[in-house]
Amino acid sequence: MTAEAPPAVATDESQDSAPVSGVRAWLSRHPLAGYAIRRFGLYVVELWGALTIAFFFFRLMPGDPIQTLIQTLQQNYIYNAQASTEIITRYRHEFGLDGNLLTQYLTYMQKLILHGDLGPSLINYPTPAQTVILRSLPWTIGLLGISAVMAWILGVVIGAIAGWRRGKFGSALATNLSIALSHVPYFFVALILVYIFAYSMGVLPARSAYDSNINPGISPDFIGSVLKYGLLPGLSIVIIGTFSWILSTRMLMVPILGEDYLVYAEAKGLKGWRILTRYALRNCYLPQITAFGISLGFIFNGNVLVEQLFNYPGLGTTLVTAIQQLDFNTILGVTDIAIFSVLTAVLLLDLVLPLLDPRVKYWK
Amino acid sequence: MRLLTAVLRTIRNSRRLATGLVILAVLVLVALFSPLIVSAIGGGKDPIELAAYDKWQVPGPGHLLGTDQFGRDVFAMVVKALSVSLQIGAIAGVISTVVGVIVAFVAGYKGGWIDNVLSTFTGILLVIPTFPLLIALSAYAKNVSLFQVGLMISIFSWPFAAKTIRSQVLSLRTRPYVDLARVTKSRDLEIIVTELLPNLLPFIGVGFASSALGAIFGLVGLEIIGLGPGGVIDLGQIIFNAIGTGALTLGAWPMFVVPIALLTLLFAALNMVNIGLEEVYNPRLRGVAGE
Repeated sequence: MTAEAPPAVATDESQDSAPVSGVRAWLSRHPLAGYAIRRFGLYVVELWGALTIAFFFFRLMPGDPIQTLIQTLQQNYIYNAQASTEIITRYRHEFGLDGNLLTQYLTYMQKLILHGDLGPSLINYPTPAQTVILRSLPWTIGLLGISAVMAWILGVVIGAIAGWRRGKFGSALATNLSIALSHVPYFFVALILVYIFAYSMGVLPARSAYDSNINPGISPDFIGSVLKYGLLPGLSIVIIGTFSWILSTRMLMVPILGEDYLVYAEAKGLKGWRILTRYALRNCYLPQITAFGISLGFIFNGNVLVEQLFNYPGLGTTLVTAIQQLDFNTILGVTDIAIFSVLTAVLLLDLVLPLLDPRVKYWK
Repeated sequence: MRLLTAVLRTIRNSRRLATGLVILAVLVLVALFSPLIVSAIGGGKDPIELAAYDKWQVPGPGHLLGTDQFGRDVFAMVVKALSVSLQIGAIAGVISTVVGVIVAFVAGYKGGWIDNVLSTFTGILLVIPTFPLLIALSAYAKNVSLFQVGLMISIFSWPFAAKTIRSQVLSLRTRPYVDLARVTKSRDLEIIVTELLPNLLPFIGVGFASSALGAIFGLVGLEIIGLGPGGVIDLGQIIFNAIGTGALTLGAWPMFVVPIALLTLLFAALNMVNIGLEEVYNPRLRGVAGE
């Protein structure tokens, strides 16, 4: 079953058409399409609402970025004369800061939606903010994405085994450790790892994302260097992430283990391992995929503290630099990307889940 | 009174909940007596004063955890900072739980378009990344007090509490005893306070614990970036100090290991309370802990 998009005109008329023919009737014949349309409508509303709140939040902040920019320019070019009104007006226009708040908002949204343009960045003027963000995005996605996948796989496997062998010592240990550590910030583990491996033993680097003596590019040296530098920050995320997935997988597994169909499977004489993978795990990996999808969406938030500690050139570090320099366009851009990715991840999951699992029915 | 015995019975039945609460109670007690402990360490003078002792002393009988770059006693600082961290958790936890509960009750109990509007709004706030906004807020709001920081953190944390509690209100609203109350009594407020609220206490507890946890970590995060409120030392600031002054390279491990250990203990305790409460009130999860 695929969610077909209805004719564009038809959606506008949905309120006044008669139930016998037209859109209502079509929708009642295609409940999945109706669900998809409603879900997509909610997505648009949420996306618009979140972007709007973020926009006004940052615009209502005190602080004048133009003054900061002019000061920077004056320092950089040893340009001491007072900035003329024309220059200020020109910059205001370029940064989308002219006119009242409403015009600013409309211009911003227009540029964002029609051209994907976030406006010039202040830290790297005149580079557009989207370029600055795109430069740091691969680092964040690489580091957090790979760590998230590893943590998920490890967590689901260990969690499933812990649930399966409940009552055993190893299982109780894994569960209690998970309860104690699943909410500990990645940053704490990162700090301890840095202390042990970088400062005390001196075996792994503590800062940056790759060896600055190696030219970036697709070469074995560079890739090896990136892996070596990414090991500590990645490990800190994998450790804590695994614990929280162990806990949630176990919580999903245990109620399933009491189900009748597992007793039946055992009575049929199936092997334990087969029951675990084909019967028990199959029923709990779906919610875990949902949760994983959402957590992948949150990756685009970057991890400010871990990236800061390792001076990793990802989104989090860009964000902190941008905030320190009042770079509104970049800050807002990072926030917008985070909002977009989380909402899109949830939307895709909601649309795909009914196809994956016949029991999922959001529509009536 | 009946409520109290019910609460006590719940705690006795869940080892996990009890453990979490005991650890929390010990930490709160240390925080409450922190002025006494600090002055006992100082023995007449203020151990947290700048240049109270020699700088960078290693842990020993005089200074259990050594001294920092200003010659302050690290143990005394940690004790005092613990109480600050707990305060922020309490402030933000209370504010966001109260707001969350009110929104959840209005949305869940009234239903209809009010619920739609409130839930959509809550959903929108949930996807806005909170940490950038928090950093931005405190970068521009210089010289903020601890209470104001708590308030700022609550702005972003109440939606979590609201979401959890609303779904519970929705399921409770249709129970027969609520219908019965609605037939006999007329006022919504009375039904909410006498019928719904007592049944939702565990979920409110979960909401409070999660908000407090988020707030404590939020402040730690702000401090580590160097944007915390002025004039107070919390556990995050000690960690920030340790990183900033190179305590990692100097081998002054107590400066960051002890705050991290304390915060980990605190997070573990709050999480135990959370999971304990969920296990007690969700029969499907009972025994998940393998007890």
